[in-house]
Amino acid sequence: MVDLEQYLPILIFLLIAGGLSAAFVFLPMGVARLTGTHNPSAEKLSEYECGFPAFEDPRSQFDVRFYLIAILFIIFDLEAAFLFPWAVSLDLTGWPGWITMMVFLFELAVGLAYAWKKGALEWE
Amino acid sequence: MTAFFESLGMTYGWAWFVATVAGILLIALPLMLAVAMIIYVDRKIWAAMALRKGPNVVGPFGLLQSFADGLKVFLQETIVPSAANKGLFLIAPIITFTVALMAWAVIPFNSGAVLADINVGLLYILAISSLGVYGVVISGWASNSKYPFFSAMRAAAQMISYEVSIGFVLICVVLWAGSFNLNAIIEAQRGHGLGIVNGFFFNLLLFPMWVVFLISSLAETARAPFDLTEAESELVAGYQTEYSSMSFALFWLGEYANVLLMCALNAILFFGGWLPPLDWAPLYIIPGWLWLFAKIFFFFFVFSWVKATVPRFRYDQLMRLGWKVFLPLSLIFVVLISGYLMATGHFA
Amino acid sequence: MIQTIAFYLFAAMVIASGAFTILARNPVHSVLWLILAFFNAAGLMVIAGAEFIAMLLIIVYVGAIAVLFLFVVMMLDIDFAELRAGFMKNFPLGILIALVLLAELVLGVGAYRAGALHLGTPDGSAAPLLGRSNIESIGALLYGRYLFLFESAGIILLVAMIGAIVLTHRGARAVRGQQNISKQIARKPSEATVNTRPEVGQGVEL
Repeated sequence: MVDLEQYLPILIFLLIAGGLSAAFVFLPMGVARLTGTHNPSAEKLSEYECGFPAFEDPRSQFDVRFYLIAILFIIFDLEAAFLFPWAVSLDLTGWPGWITMMVFLFELAVGLAYAWKKGALEWE
Repeated sequence: MTAFFESLGMTYGWAWFVATVAGILLIALPLMLAVAMIIYVDRKIWAAMALRKGPNVVGPFGLLQSFADGLKVFLQETIVPSAANKGLFLIAPIITFTVALMAWAVIPFNSGAVLADINVGLLYILAISSLGVYGVVISGWASNSKYPFFSAMRAAAQMISYEVSIGFVLICVVLWAGSFNLNAIIEAQRGHGLGIVNGFFFNLLLFPMWVVFLISSLAETARAPFDLTEAESELVAGYQTEYSSMSFALFWLGEYANVLLMCALNAILFFGGWLPPLDWAPLYIIPGWLWLFAKIFFFFFVFSWVKATVPRFRYDQLMRLGWKVFLPLSLIFVVLISGYLMATGHFA
Repeated sequence: MIQTIAFYLFAAMVIASGAFTILARNPVHSVLWLILAFFNAAGLMVIAGAEFIAMLLIIVYVGAIAVLFLFVVMMLDIDFAELRAGFMKNFPLGILIALVLLAELVLGVGAYRAGALHLGTPDGSAAPLLGRSNIESIGALLYGRYLFLFESAGIILLVAMIGAIVLTHRGARAVRGQQNISKQIARKPSEATVNTRPEVGQGVEL
């Protein structure tokens, strides 16, 4: 059974860790205003480029390979997600459970082989 | 710890709450201290391997160097670029650091000494570490600047590529241990090798998986030789280029906290965590957390050693290693290990 | 008591972040609100006792699917003016879809209240295995009774993978930096270098 009392510390930890990190970000901003180091200027606040104004919108770059990597990642992540319950329940499912998973892994191995053959895993 | 606070006359609820908060602070604050010291250690090791002295001015042997650096960045001005998405720009380091701390909630420091002893501890760590991508991607996008954005995209693709094989390696360990609870995984390693060695590494089928895990943990934390996100010759300083002051330092701290976490995972999953290296009674006199810390430190030394000696990978080599070597290898080992365990009647 | 508070906290956060997901003007903000919604949904799952589903929700949805969404919206150069023009053009279609969804909702609630449906009848067949965590119970069921559904999930994943490759792969390109690692490692100094002793003023024949 699920022991919810074990999860409450995680929630409290989340609040404390978040608070701590927020303090680390916002406290120096306050301190800088008090000590007078806070002194922004137009040049200081412009984005980094080697000493000249940026040519183009940085976000306009687009590469379809990142999609492919992300989609392949989703598929293999799902495969791993199916493997998690399988790994701890093999004593209950026995050989039929094992063979089922081998068929499943074979299906995905075919997919991996296809991706490999097509050069989708290539990164030039 | 709850019992101690109850003995001070608190009701159970309050005693539990105070004990939990104390436990959290007992993890978070020493962790930050450890990160500060480990940065110093990293620089010292790196310097020693390059026949340099490393930090040696602030304090005895330069021990206080990290604290001096911390004070310096704390007093600096926080620059928020005018082109940035301000809210997200400031939230990104918060996410990075919070996530880096959160994963430690389920790490067992000794038999029973764990903040949240959940059934799915290993999945929790996998879930939390998969969130690390967001701090990086959001910072790169919110900076609205060319180099941070490229670096963030590269970092994200790199992290998710290696997460795949890490997932399969974890399955190999879980197959053998039969549980996702980290304490149960450690207990399963007691006397695993020849009845005397505590640790899964002493196992012909799991040893290659440990090698895959070690290299993947280098890639997952973007340490050298996989530190392409900070390839200074092409990407300035990576996704933190636009950051300054403490928000910059938070990325730094989060990165090192993640490195320590990966060292801890190496120790827990393959080297018996808080168990002594050998299942021999006199070694149990030394408390378990000391063994764990010694193992974490050992793995950190290995990380530094690799950083000092191995040249940086190229991006196509990195992708090739993740997708064409580690992924098929770990898949094959899932099949091999589960088949071996079925055939030998491990689950009967 | 804490459980009730946590439930209402998570539930309210799910609804609020869901609302912000569709109200946010910037698509990147939308995705981030969506991630927050997933997170709180995972919290709700933990309260319901489904810890494995909660972790899976974070690993798969937040850790993988939302990353793809972020890649898409971050790398597409989004022109907001154009988006709004598109909004006006597709407005009638949107209304139509909204009406269909509303009708489905009404029908669904009506059918449920008519009493013909029995959702999740507690006949004990779905009870968790005694002394087992819910991951093991799920495993026993998925790889035992629902074996064919599981295998068809595998086929769907395979189709998804091949589809994604066919759609996004741009065919063979001139691959640069292709290296044969075993060849590099097998190379010996004797194959690459020669010792010569040239006469003074003669130079070297290559």
